[in-house]
Amino acid sequence: MSATPVLSIGAPGLDVDRLVADLQATVDRKVRDGVYADARVARAEKTNLVHLRGSDDFLTFYLTCLRDAVFVDISDFEIRERRRFFGPLLVAFKKVVWKLLKFYTYRLWSQQNQVNGLVITALEGLEEQSAARIAALEKRLVELEKATGHGRS
Amino acid sequence: MAAPDRLAFVCPRLAGEGAVGGAETLLKNLALHAAARGVAVDFLTTCAQSHFTWENTLPAGVKRMDGMDVHFFPVDERDVGTFLAIQQSIDRGRPVSEEDELRWLRNGVNSAALLRHLDQHAGDYRAILLGPYLFGLTWFTALAHPERSLLVPCLHDEPFAKLACMKRLFAETAGCLFNAQAERELAGELFAYPDAKSRIVGMGLDAFQADPTAFAKRHGLTAPYVLYSGRREPLKGTPLICDYVHAFRERTGRDVKLVFTGSGAIDAPAGLWPHILDAGFVSEEEKHEAMAGAVAFLHPSVNESFGIVLLEAFLAGTPGLVHAKSRVLVSQCRAAGAGLWFRHYPDFETQLLYLLDNPDARATLGARGRDFVAREYAWPAIERKFFAALDALRPA
Repeated sequence: MSATPVLSIGAPGLDVDRLVADLQATVDRKVRDGVYADARVARAEKTNLVHLRGSDDFLTFYLTCLRDAVFVDISDFEIRERRRFFGPLLVAFKKVVWKLLKFYTYRLWSQQNQVNGLVITALEGLEEQSAARIAALEKRLVELEKATGHGRS
Repeated sequence: MAAPDRLAFVCPRLAGEGAVGGAETLLKNLALHAAARGVAVDFLTTCAQSHFTWENTLPAGVKRMDGMDVHFFPVDERDVGTFLAIQQSIDRGRPVSEEDELRWLRNGVNSAALLRHLDQHAGDYRAILLGPYLFGLTWFTALAHPERSLLVPCLHDEPFAKLACMKRLFAETAGCLFNAQAERELAGELFAYPDAKSRIVGMGLDAFQADPTAFAKRHGLTAPYVLYSGRREPLKGTPLICDYVHAFRERTGRDVKLVFTGSGAIDAPAGLWPHILDAGFVSEEEKHEAMAGAVAFLHPSVNESFGIVLLEAFLAGTPGLVHAKSRVLVSQCRAAGAGLWFRHYPDFETQLLYLLDNPDARATLGARGRDFVAREYAWPAIERKFFAALDALRPA
């Protein structure tokens, strides 16, 4: 990530309301551009979720982050050992343990990944459906208000 | 007959006796300043120091401290299981019967000995100032002597504030001393609380000078740091700042340390631990130095009625970074023009980058904060507001 300032606002005339609004506008644009679609952001937000429920864009943003984090890597990995003494022996031992464990755990993990994927797909589907429904209802409401002359001026 | 001039303050713990807490500090400081102005003050509290165990660790009795008589009373035996079960239901927003609300209060922190003392001596006091609002001790004491009771509620927008018993507490007592306009507005929304029954007082803060390099030097910190001071617990939002700073470090590659002062366990991701400095319970001087050297003071709590530490950080010339859901902290940042507020991690990342990369803006925010607190929260101004509130709500 670049170290350049996000915004350059002259300090002497600093107005915190304007500053926060400007920074938030920048953030909202970057959220839409996918800059924060990152599993690390999803993890960081875990204790803030309760405060974000009311936000219109929250679910879309959070689902994007979650989509990035949903599949756990269950493939083989390189087994290393930092200790110098007995290093090769320890590596061999860990490889044996891993092979033994893998037989029992792989099925569980892959099923969990499958469930995670299905859950997020279902959530995304529900969110899209409800967003489309709300948009259609809002459109209908505006048309009805126009027709009856009770619309917001 | 003229009303007596003696004041009683009632608080579950005495700040400073191994106890940290904003409400406790507020009550104690108001009492000390009233005593310093020649008012006879009795500070009625419990023998407990820990807000987790409420064990009676201090001896019961009366002790003369800084011009006031501090009365220590033992905390009553209580059924912690019942208390926690009902508390959990309230906290999760489940409906709780009025009977269960009372059981929750009865099994909270209470002191029959303190109530007995007031049964005998309430008439000696012009006013009984009590807080914070959500303790059984406050509730039963205030409603035993409602005409003399002035709440210093430290009210938060939380499930406990929405209980029927709290509506009764606010309706029946003589008045309220709020810490900020935002807290008064919250009481208006929750209880339709009339402005005429309340005044905004808050707490004074003494200006100080702190060397912004001293803390970093003492602890060998070479990288910039952000600071949190106070109790570390989920309700205060400390896990959130750990998660945020961890993500910030990983995503931006900036070496920013997270410094804590205060008490309680820190719940942080394993990868962040090498970048956390837990200074623990430090002296006021060291806390002020830590504040003065920080890039920003983090206050992630959404349940604040005043934000003493934020104002102290402003006095140290350090801008605040607070949670946008805390209307009191946001209003303090706005009023002072000295802090920013974040809704979520992306805001936090952007705002911290802004503060790191714009030292001039940081200095301007800091200077404004210092001026604001020195002007609005100097003790003489707060003392005037306090005595004016007494005159209005409990005329002598």
